[in-house]
Formats: sequence, C-alpha cells, structure tokens
Amino acid sequence: MPAIKERSHKAQKVLERFEKKLNRQIVGSLVACVHCGMCTQSCHYVLANPGDPTYAPAYKGDQIRKIFKRHFDWTGRVLPFWVKAKSVYTDEQLEELKDVVFGKCTNCRRCTINCPMGVDLATFNRMARGLLVSVGVMPEGVAVVSKDQWELGNQMGVLKEDYIDTLEWMEEEMQMELDDPQAKIPIDKKDCDVYYSINPREVKYDPRTIADAAKIFYAAKENWTMASEGWDMTNFGLFSGDDDLGGSVAVRLYEKVEELNARKLVISECGHGYRSTRCEGQNWGKKDVNFTMESSVITMLDYVKSGRIQIDAGKNDKIYTYHDSCNFARSCGMYEEPRELLKLVVNDFREMYPNRSENYCCTGGGGAMSMSEYSQRRLKSAKVKADQLKATGANVVVTSCHNCVDGLNDLIKHYKLGMEVTQLVNLVAEALVLEPRVAPEEIPAAPEAVPGADGLKGKKILVTDDEPDFLTFISTVLEDNEAEVIKASSGDEALKLAESEQPDLITLDLSMPGRSGIEVFETLRKNSKTQNIPVCIITGRPEMRKLIYDRPVPPPEGYVDKPADEDDIVLNIRKVLKAGHEKS
Amino acid sequence: MPWFEHGDLKLEVDEDGFIQDPSVWNEDVAKALATTEDVNDMTEDHWKLVNYLRNYYLEFGIAPMIRKLCKETGYPLKKIYELFPSGPAKGACKVAGLPKPTGCV
Repeated sequence: MPAIKERSHKAQKVLERFEKKLNRQIVGSLVACVHCGMCTQSCHYVLANPGDPTYAPAYKGDQIRKIFKRHFDWTGRVLPFWVKAKSVYTDEQLEELKDVVFGKCTNCRRCTINCPMGVDLATFNRMARGLLVSVGVMPEGVAVVSKDQWELGNQMGVLKEDYIDTLEWMEEEMQMELDDPQAKIPIDKKDCDVYYSINPREVKYDPRTIADAAKIFYAAKENWTMASEGWDMTNFGLFSGDDDLGGSVAVRLYEKVEELNARKLVISECGHGYRSTRCEGQNWGKKDVNFTMESSVITMLDYVKSGRIQIDAGKNDKIYTYHDSCNFARSCGMYEEPRELLKLVVNDFREMYPNRSENYCCTGGGGAMSMSEYSQRRLKSAKVKADQLKATGANVVVTSCHNCVDGLNDLIKHYKLGMEVTQLVNLVAEALVLEPRVAPEEIPAAPEAVPGADGLKGKKILVTDDEPDFLTFISTVLEDNEAEVIKASSGDEALKLAESEQPDLITLDLSMPGRSGIEVFETLRKNSKTQNIPVCIITGRPEMRKLIYDRPVPPPEGYVDKPADEDDIVLNIRKVLKAGHEKS
Repeated sequence: MPWFEHGDLKLEVDEDGFIQDPSVWNEDVAKALATTEDVNDMTEDHWKLVNYLRNYYLEFGIAPMIRKLCKETGYPLKKIYELFPSGPAKGACKVAGLPKPTGCV
C-alpha cells in the first residue's frame, strides 16, 4: 500500500471548502462534460495558441474537475485512475491551479454559450478562484484591489474628500461650459429619481465620463444625485470568486440607495459592475431591494427615444463599431439596447462579426487587466480580437464596459490598429443639442439635418441586387425619397450601367450568381470611369465584409446589413452622398 | 520578469512595461520609457507632470488622483491626455517610474 501523502494546510482548507461551494449548477457543469471539443474553437486563448492544448476550456475545466471527482463523485472514489481523478496536496499544485483559473481564462463564457452539454466553465472557474483566494493564493493585483474594496469601500482606495473634491471640480467645469451656475452634480440629495453610481477609475483617473453623464442628466432635467459613500458599483468579488466580498460591496451600495430613498439605481457603463450589482449582488449579500436598478444605457436610450434630450448624430462623425462586453451582453443579455442607442447618436455604425453572444472577449475580462503577470499571454491571445476589430473598417470602438475599454486600448496599441475606444455616455454627451437657456427674441431657426427632411431629390442611384423582391424594395424606398433609380439584377449589368449612366451612387449586393459583388466592386474601383462613384454595400452575408476590406482598392463608402429597414438604407445613402459632396 | 532595453539602458520591468525598482528612475529612464508611450519629445509640460507624479508617489506610496494632478500642475484634464495619449494612469505613471496602478485601469 502506498504511503499516505501529507497534505499542506492550504490544500486541506481548499478541499474542506470545496464541498460547501457545490451547488446544482456547479455539479452539473462538473459532471456533464463529455470532452466533445466544441468549446475548443470558441475560446480566444485556443484560437491564438492553436498548438497548446492547455488552453482548451475542457482541459482547464479538468484541472478543477479532477479534484471534484476524487473527493465528491463516486466514480472517482471507486475508479480514480479510470476517470482521471486526482487530489491536491501541495502549495505548488495550488499555484499551478492559480495559473489556470486566473491566467488562462477570463471567465468570458463564450465556451458556455457553445457547449451542447450546458457546461458553464466560468461558474466553476470562478468557484475555484474563490477557493484559492480563501487560502491567499491569488495574483497580487487581485489581492490589492480586494483589500481596498474591503477596507476603503472602493477598489482604488479613493478617499471621501478626494472623491467629493473631484465631483465639485467636474461641476465647476460643467457650469463654465454650459454657462449656467445652476448646472449641478448633487451629492447625497434625498428622494431622487436617479441615484448614479460609478466605477472608481472614473473619479481617480478619468472623470470625463462623470462630467458627460452630469451633462446628460442636466439636459434631461433629471432629479438625480450621486452619493458621498456607497458610490462604487464595481465588485472584485465577481473576479476573485469571493462571495463574501461580493455581498459586502453590493450591500454597501444598496443600503446607501435606501438611506437616500432613491427610486432608481443607475449603473454607469461597466460590464462586471452591472452584472455584480444588478444580477448577482442580492444573492451574494442575501438582501432584497425595493428600488429598480438599470444600466445608464437604458436611461440614456429612454431620454433620446422619449425626446427628453435632443440629439444631433452628425456631431459624432467617425465610423463606429460596437463591442459586446461579456458581462453586460453574454451574462446579462444587453445586446440590442446599446446598439439602438448607438445608432441614434452616430451616423455611421458598422457591425462587428461575430457579435452579441458570440462576440470575442476584449481579452482583459475577469480582472485580467489587474494581473500584470499574465499580460504577455493576454496580448498574444488578443490577436483574435485585433483581427476582428480590423475587419469592421471602423475607426472607433464603442463598448459599455470600462474593463473592455482598457483591454481594447491595450491590444489596439499592441497591434497598432490606430483605433479609438469610447463609451456611449461620451457619444451621447457629444451629440447633445442643448436648448438655449435664455429665450432669444427672434424665432429660432429650424434645426438642420432632421432625418427625412432633405430627400434624395436629383440623385441618380444604381441599385444592384439579384433578388427581385429586394431590388424592388430598395428601389421603392429610394424613389419615395425622390431619387432617380436605375436597376441592375446582375454584376455585369451593374458594371455596364455604372459606366454609361454615371450614377451618383451605387448600391451593391455581395452574393450574386455569376460575377460576385466583391469582383464587381473591385472592377468598379479599377475602372477610371467608375472609380469615383461612391458604393454602398447592402448584404445579407456580413461575414464577407472582411473580404471587401482586404481588396487592394479603397474601401466602400457605405455598408448596410440585410435585413435592412427603410431608415437604415436612407440614412446610410444620404450620409455617403453628403460625405462625397463635402469631399468634392 | 522581462527587460526593457533602450540604447545603453537595461531595466527590469513588469509584463506591462512598468519599471520594477522605482529607485533606478532618472531623467534618462523617463525619456526612454516615454518612447513606449508615443512621446518622443519630453517637453517642459511633460516634465512638470512627471515630476509631480514621481514626488507624490515617493511621499505617499500611491498615484495621485487626477484632480490633484490637474490642480497642482495647473493643467486642464484635456491637456493631460494630449501630453500622454494613454492617459494619466497608464501613460504618465509609467514614464514617472510608478508601478502599474491597481484595479480596472
């Protein structure tokens, strides 16, 4: 009989606490994996490191699963060698586990979405993080941040007087900008409709987002407040797996909202903060709340749609794409609202592929941005994301998560993509049209560029599509807007008509029988008689977008995905024509 | 730990390029680190900011709030971002020889 191995104190504690963490979801995920390999292709770490099987989600899961099998599952107790059950004995083994659960997974849950067995790796990966944290095995960055959140009530150790001083500073700047001494950032005001909570990075390093939010609340005439304490809606408990910390941080916030008797807690654009506060905090903290919680994205969308604030999307004149944050989108379902808002405040939006639940992680998720020891690994795996960003053809990435802002900025710098990263709050604030404060005597001029006001009168547009229904649809939409329409139902016809008719713009379908749209596009661009005619791609095959941008000719001026609605088409075409007009 | 090399300089840095030992910092180190932040010419404005960060860190052991930075240097927020495109946390702190700030930055 082999000698009984000694177990270190930490390993012993981990095993004792393991059992207490087991719930149905975790056990289900631990036993259900059939190692089919579907997860392998869904993980950005694997895609960027194809030769290294230790990045495969199933493999990473097995590092936790083997302990579960050895101690809690009958198969492993009876036939440990058969099911690869193994215990942990030493501190070194715990360090190895740390390297996997913190350093090789961002808990982004893309593999979860793609698992036919419903294995939620991120959930038990988080559990394993929590076990290690409970015995002090964790990256230093996580330890520092958690300590600040426990002790000082916010993850960056911001002191109360500094926080208030910063809010007052932003208030002064706003008053100067708006020339209105009544523009305020209220602190600890009771009975408000909106209690606005933020991420400490906003106050410590970049308070522009606070100023922008304040400007939007001002424009909406909102009855709002910020709090002197309990203002940090981020929660390192989510990253470290420490439910006690998670609960304590969330409850601190909830109690302050209750104390001020606010009707609604609004959470600024932070993915993990939103998930922790809105979705997980009540369970961790074992506390019910009697107020509503919503993302600032919803608040802003509501302002714009209800006309409470006026917007001029023309002020945001770059090309924008949207990155779904894993916590905000995949874990909380916020897919459509941010897109809806974004399309209202910018003119040129390009979808990213894949998107929504299938989007790739910013690669800085799960607290990875505060774990420097894994940065090189993180940046290498970010290749996948870099390619995805590049293919959008956009020059600004918009995201509703601070962590994604940093993760994306880092990889954009590393891969020299030259793109900007911004958030919806910045774009909404930028696009704001404020009412003149003192009513001028003359009647104000009609606002310019009301969508739909200026038609496409006098414009000759060549519409190319092989589907008769869609050809008729686009043509009707354009004719309704007073354009002169020429129709082509094949690539060859389009090339001929483009040369002879010299239209002001060409719309082009990509997948057509015979000459493909991509070929037609390239031919148009290479022919001196047609190369200056703006082209708007309208396609149901968004995955072909990359191919278009890879061609050695200038990219198309506009891009619309099918199914497209009337507004999308008209808006994009008008924008392309306007841009062309300004150029010439 | 990786090494950062620039000319004759060789410094131990963390994986994000922040120097490990704050005591090795001097003006040449700052200039060298600045090149990694797309700052090729350290102007008087850059130095004012960097020196403030450095002194604050030596005194208090943490990076100052952006509010303090603007107040003490007299620069508006916008200017800080013009001077260091990656912002105060990542750009300016790195050049000033501070360790990487903790948390969501």
